[in-house]
Amino acid sequence: MNARGGIAAATSTEALTTEQPVGRSAGWWGMVMFVATEATLFACLIGSYFYLRFQHGGPWPPDGLTAPTLARPLLMTAVLLPSSLPVVWAERGIRRGQRWRLRTGLAVTLVLGVTFLILVATEYAEKLREFTITTNAYGSLFYVITGFHGFHVLVGLTMISWLLVASLRRGTFGAHRHDRVRNAAIYWHFVDVVWAAILFTIYLSPRLS
Amino acid sequence: MSTHPGPRARLAGGLLLWYAVLGGAIAWAVHLIAGWSVDELTCAGGSERVGALPLRTAIGLAVVLPALATVGALLAAALLWRRTARTPQGVEPERRVGRSRMLAVVGIWLNLLFLTIIVLGGVALIVLPPCQR
Amino acid sequence: MSTTAASTPGASREDLARLEERWAERPSLRSWFSTVDHKRIGRRYLVTAALFFVLAGLSALAMRTQLARPESRLLSPQEYNQLFTMHGTAMIFLFATPMLFGFGNFLVPLMIGSRDMAFPKLNAFGYWVFLFAGLFMWASLPFGAAPNGGWFAYVPLTEERNTPGLHMDVYTLGLLFLGIATTAASINFIVTSLKLRAPGMSLNRVPLFVWAIVATAFMVIFALPALNVDNAMLFLDRRFGTHFFDPEHGGNVLLWQHLFWIFGHPDVYIIVMPALGIVSAVLPAFTRRGVVGYALVVFAMASIAIISFGVWVHHMFATGLPPLSYGFFSAASTIITIPSGIQIFAWLATMLLGRLVLKVPLLFVIGFIVTFVLGGFTGAMFALTAFDQQVTDSYFVVAHFHYVLIGGALFPILAAVYYWLPKITGRMYHEKLGRWAFWLFFTGMHLTFFPMHLYGLFGMPRRVYTYPDEPGWGGWNLVSTAGSYLLAIGLLLVLIGVIHAVRRGRPAPPDPWGGDSLEWSTDSPPKPYNFPVLPQVHSLHPTWDDASRTSMTEGATDDRILARGRQTLVTSELDGRRERTVEMPEASLQPLLLALALLVFFTALLFAWYPVAVGAALVVASTIAVWLWPPRRPDQELGVSA
Repeated sequence: MNARGGIAAATSTEALTTEQPVGRSAGWWGMVMFVATEATLFACLIGSYFYLRFQHGGPWPPDGLTAPTLARPLLMTAVLLPSSLPVVWAERGIRRGQRWRLRTGLAVTLVLGVTFLILVATEYAEKLREFTITTNAYGSLFYVITGFHGFHVLVGLTMISWLLVASLRRGTFGAHRHDRVRNAAIYWHFVDVVWAAILFTIYLSPRLS
Repeated sequence: MSTHPGPRARLAGGLLLWYAVLGGAIAWAVHLIAGWSVDELTCAGGSERVGALPLRTAIGLAVVLPALATVGALLAAALLWRRTARTPQGVEPERRVGRSRMLAVVGIWLNLLFLTIIVLGGVALIVLPPCQR
Repeated sequence: MSTTAASTPGASREDLARLEERWAERPSLRSWFSTVDHKRIGRRYLVTAALFFVLAGLSALAMRTQLARPESRLLSPQEYNQLFTMHGTAMIFLFATPMLFGFGNFLVPLMIGSRDMAFPKLNAFGYWVFLFAGLFMWASLPFGAAPNGGWFAYVPLTEERNTPGLHMDVYTLGLLFLGIATTAASINFIVTSLKLRAPGMSLNRVPLFVWAIVATAFMVIFALPALNVDNAMLFLDRRFGTHFFDPEHGGNVLLWQHLFWIFGHPDVYIIVMPALGIVSAVLPAFTRRGVVGYALVVFAMASIAIISFGVWVHHMFATGLPPLSYGFFSAASTIITIPSGIQIFAWLATMLLGRLVLKVPLLFVIGFIVTFVLGGFTGAMFALTAFDQQVTDSYFVVAHFHYVLIGGALFPILAAVYYWLPKITGRMYHEKLGRWAFWLFFTGMHLTFFPMHLYGLFGMPRRVYTYPDEPGWGGWNLVSTAGSYLLAIGLLLVLIGVIHAVRRGRPAPPDPWGGDSLEWSTDSPPKPYNFPVLPQVHSLHPTWDDASRTSMTEGATDDRILARGRQTLVTSELDGRRERTVEMPEASLQPLLLALALLVFFTALLFAWYPVAVGAALVVASTIAVWLWPPRRPDQELGVSA
């Protein structure tokens, strides 16, 4: 089909009146709306970070604190971002009724997620020697934003382990029933994407400017 | 219109409908956030330049580009409105056209409204110096 | 049993018996706690919100009594601060939105021709959380520990060192707790309206009230997080010594205001929009025609819902932004009046072109238009910066927003009470009593709040527990107080009217008003399964159109009776094409248990019993895990290959 034909087809009455989005389940919409409101929550937190930073003027981080080092956060990113892939693979598997793929994929994600949380703990152990949540507004922002995200990772991991335990039993998930897998997957992808925003905000942005 | 559009054309058409309805709203949101934060941050930093661009030009871009996107959405909504004037032959459900036609009306008004807001923002840019306190 | 069947049922006797068996809840103590029926939950929302309204109203009466004369010492300053804070907070968070969501809960599934909400258990959970959060906040008042920093709780006043004690912790935790209910209800409304509409109900046939609820729900989804973040930060500042709002350690007090008004301005519309939806629902029945300009009204609601997020800065006139940034926001602030005006003109045109039937609900609608327009007029006066700075924090502002909120929310709510009372209770109200209630309320309202404009202009500041005898203050304050008692008597008559209807009213027919939307096509009160036959919708006014009505009687088909289980229909998002039938959840105690665990969690946080809070959080997590645990099915049914 050439370009002009394509445009004509896409702007025909029939194409324009195509139903889109269509056929999603109530659970899918519920999860998407939940993620939307959660994403707004993170947007408000990150917005507050930049607001306080730019209203503060002067050097950032303030009070002679050093800008955070990048090695560990990048390692954390390398652990967390790819952890979405096994979930996708597991979800595709259970859509075809392959329970082993569901179990394996979830287990791999679980390992990656737990590794991430351990890295967060070591990061905190190091940072706490330099500043705490009560040191100044920067400290408050740092711990509240990363802590809130860490809490979301924990919730996501609870979902994943819950799915894993459920999938070990017979008669729970199959090609005709995988709503819960997909919903947990949406949440996990969301937690991943938010991490990218936090990496930029907390770790990369102090190095710009 | 005897041939039925393929699945990709249908997807494009369905997305075009949402651009026609919500394009102006999204463009306005981008305009507001970009215009406000660029103005605020640059002035707070005590300069009148964003990189190589003068501040006024940068904010001007945050007005003109969303305005163009809104005009595009307005045209798409007008097209949708024309294409839903009557039910095409051989397509069964009349209500599908009715739904899209209502969305077209809503889209035309939304885009006009958001275009007005963005243009008013442009007027403010012409009248007011960007960093006056 | 009442014999007011909607019409010759299209479902057979056996089908009706089966539906009854699947959906009815036997009256027992357990079913009272475990119900998931949207109609029972909706009624509870209404009654509970009305209870909180009475408490907030009594707080106001106490304040008016104090202010009747100068130098009065009835209330101490501390008591007065708590009363005005709880009055505002409760009216906004515990009355207006939950009351309107109560109508939404009862009506949305009926209006779209479904048998319940999309997530019935989540719905029950939302109600319990709302109830507990409301009690959590009100319970602080007898202990003298109620919030006392005004309903918008500006820092630095509300920081620990300026307001020690539990007061503001009750505020922050109570609103965070309540936010769970509001968010859950909003998600439920959106999904219900997207997926559970009767077949044939494409977007251009959705009742305006449902549009209003959905637009409101979208605003909640995107506005409430700002308030939640704000409150969480304030709680952390107060309790754990963070420095978000502390300028000495890099924080900023304006951050509170920004986040609060990012929520707060949409919240004005969150309160008013469903009320405007009520007006659009009431008018067709009493003007005998559809609302003029359906698509324009939908456009107005959509644009208000979007633009309301771009105007928050206008609450912060005096905070030193560059005028250019302010210009971007004031463009939006100016333009948002256009869609509001479009709605008003659409209603006026409807009344002009229709045949008016002057019953009590329409009286309240007319009262709404008069009062709301007056409130809008004083609102426009604030746009003059010089005037704004003159009257800010005076009683003029109090007068203005009471005109807006009583006009924009309470009048429509009262219209809705009378309009849907027959549907909700199955009984008619006493028309004459209703008229008395209207006129007393209307007169009392204007007598109370109109003088506030005057003594506001004479310079009387708001939020003071008493005042010296300045010229022009004392007399008008006495008028206000007298008016407030008149207003209260009017509201008392509303209450008496409701009780009278429930106990003595004559039985209501299915459609006492000749309404146009689907709730009038079924019994009053509706059966537990709402519709014996789910309708096939053919127009915007299904109860007025023969094809839609017949689809529930002679035209009934088995795939819309669905008597084989506890089922309802799922349709497509935009066109309402039939997709599949779904099984709906049974009654359950889990929602109550989950809400109780959250109550323990927030109470423990309030009193700093952190180990208890951790325990409660674990109960929350395990309850959710059990709630969502997949039921077992045979492998063939699931489709498992390995």
